Amino acid sequence: MRRSINTGFTILGLIWLGLIFWLTTQVPVRDEAKDWFGGLDPGGWMAWVFPTALFFTIIAGLLILFTWLAIRFPETPCKGSLGIMTTRGDRLFISLLGSAFICLIWLGVMGMPVWGGLAVALIYAAAVFRWV
Amino acid sequence: MDKPLNNRAWFLVLPVLALVAFSAVLPLMTVVNYSVQDTFGGNQFFWAGLEWFEEVIHSDRIRAALGRQILFSAIILAIEIPLGIFVALNMPKKGVWASFCLVLMALPLLIPWNVVGTIWQVFGRVDIGLLGYALSSLGIDYNYVNDPIDAWVTVIVMDVWHWTSLVALLCYAGLQSIPDAYYQAARIDQASRWKVFRYIELPKMQGVLLIAVLLRFMDSFMIYTEPFVVTGGGPGNATTFLSIDLVKMAVGQFDLGPAAAFSLIYFLVILLISFVFYTVMTKEQETP
Repeated sequence: MRRSINTGFTILGLIWLGLIFWLTTQVPVRDEAKDWFGGLDPGGWMAWVFPTALFFTIIAGLLILFTWLAIRFPETPCKGSLGIMTTRGDRLFISLLGSAFICLIWLGVMGMPVWGGLAVALIYAAAVFRWV
Repeated sequence: MDKPLNNRAWFLVLPVLALVAFSAVLPLMTVVNYSVQDTFGGNQFFWAGLEWFEEVIHSDRIRAALGRQILFSAIILAIEIPLGIFVALNMPKKGVWASFCLVLMALPLLIPWNVVGTIWQVFGRVDIGLLGYALSSLGIDYNYVNDPIDAWVTVIVMDVWHWTSLVALLCYAGLQSIPDAYYQAARIDQASRWKVFRYIELPKMQGVLLIAVLLRFMDSFMIYTEPFVVTGGGPGNATTFLSIDLVKMAVGQFDLGPAAAFSLIYFLVILLISFVFYTVMTKEQETP
């Protein structure tokens, strides 16, 4: 049973990697260089571009990874600095939600680019997984 | 020793996940895509980065709408939750009157939102509306079309009329599930009415109150139809809440990029506040 679950998730992981590779092949070429911000489906109503497609692929990857972790290593919820019982999934949710607000606050206070905000968000996420 | 959680049951929600993917996730993905691009129609998009988010964050108009929205939701929760509990506590527990009250309380919930707006729009009019005419006859200068305070009062009273019964019905269901043994024990201890409420009824209603608070918060924070029908967001922008402003931006001005960025921030704010409510209200139920 455990082996079949691991095999299933390995296949999912490979599909995920294949998806990222496929996305890079869909990036349009302009002036003999890849236009990373060009439309992946010109004329399509969903208006996909590589950065947003990569964003959702990473979120999907995180969900797959945490689902596998939850099945492979079942855990007991624990109480952290916020005083609430959290599982790994809860901590991921708190990290993602908090990171969104950190980037928005960075954008509001410091303006573009938001790489600094992203770095703060990563530190915040690490802190959430360690202490919350 | 604590029992470890087995999360395999989550696979059972896969069919729902597939449905939600079509009804919610795909539109959400599209909104994210629109929020980082600009368009002039014809499905032609141009990369704009985070420009729209910056514009929305610095917009005075949206900040004002957010302020109005928070104030509105706070007032709604402050009135509807205690009032709903009070009504539920005073509803008959059994017999014909219990059924009558249940039907009566359910009536406002059955009326479509735009009809509620129309009812109150007519009801509040000074020339032909019962409320407006009666207040004018009493010498009260009431006119929700011109006066911002009157417009706010009308919208709040309308929402209270429409939705308090939801809170009352949820609380009533919570109260009905309390076994008689609790009340008998309270009588033996000669507990006062307040103590029965504080230590028996309120803790037993916590679960349904959580649902009531979350539903009423989310609904009031996203309110659109009723104030739009009654006041149209006016006078001026006095009752222009976030969703009215968002629709003006997306449909009225066809600014899809800024509107998408605005709706994502709006979504994140609702998600955050709902999470905080949920966490605070379930904190006491958790075992250490």
